[in-house]
Amino acid sequence: MKIVIEVFSAPVCSKCAQAQLALKAVTEELGEKHFIWRDVNVLADIDRAVELGVIAPPSLAIDGELVFAALPSPERLRKELAQRLARTASPFPSSS
Amino acid sequence: MNSTMLTIGKVAASAQVTADSIRYYEREGLIKPASKSKSGYRLYTDEAIRRIAFIKQAQQCGFSLADVRELLELRSTDKACCDDIYRVSVEKKLQLERKIKALNVMSQALSRLIEMCSHDRKSLAACPILGALEAGHAKDHGKAVKARSRQREAR
Repeated sequence: MKIVIEVFSAPVCSKCAQAQLALKAVTEELGEKHFIWRDVNVLADIDRAVELGVIAPPSLAIDGELVFAALPSPERLRKELAQRLARTASPFPSSS
Repeated sequence: MNSTMLTIGKVAASAQVTADSIRYYEREGLIKPASKSKSGYRLYTDEAIRRIAFIKQAQQCGFSLADVRELLELRSTDKACCDDIYRVSVEKKLQLERKIKALNVMSQALSRLIEMCSHDRKSLAACPILGALEAGHAKDHGKAVKARSRQREAR
């Protein structure tokens, strides 16, 4: 199953755009096939932003959970995603 | 007295607020008199009227006085730009939407309670609304007791 990453940002934030590029590079490095990346405009999809508890963009949610209230460094995101990937490739597969 | 200086009463009348509001804004650090007369009365310039109009407009958009203070500080900060104001506005919008969502949940809960009422003038003891609220309390209390019990067992 793919990990869904949602980045909530305001449309005119130039800093956000730069930071997002660096973060997107992390998913490319770990294997794009594992991830679904969604850029979410908080104003256009404010219901989703409120649902996930976004207080101040830019924020980053993973699999429907607001994991980073502010954009993380690429290192922090790499660590978080690597842990999640390890969990999805669990050494204890279900018996079914 | 300098002809460009205005008393608090004149500023209040022009800005359509009370003198008490102006004193309150002053206590909140949003406005301050340009000077004081020899007798100690506060004196303001036209800028005070513009500032009060700004405060009122911002409050109508949902900004608290603390937010307004931040906006006014940004307005007078050389390094700030419209992106900063935009950011504060987007954050306020998110905050308002959160409140609206919470209020909608409350309104729906009230609708459910109102629907329970059969309007047949029962005694208070048989009131379904009070009963549902009591049941909710009992449910929350039960959860709290169980949680405390689990905490004790975990120790």
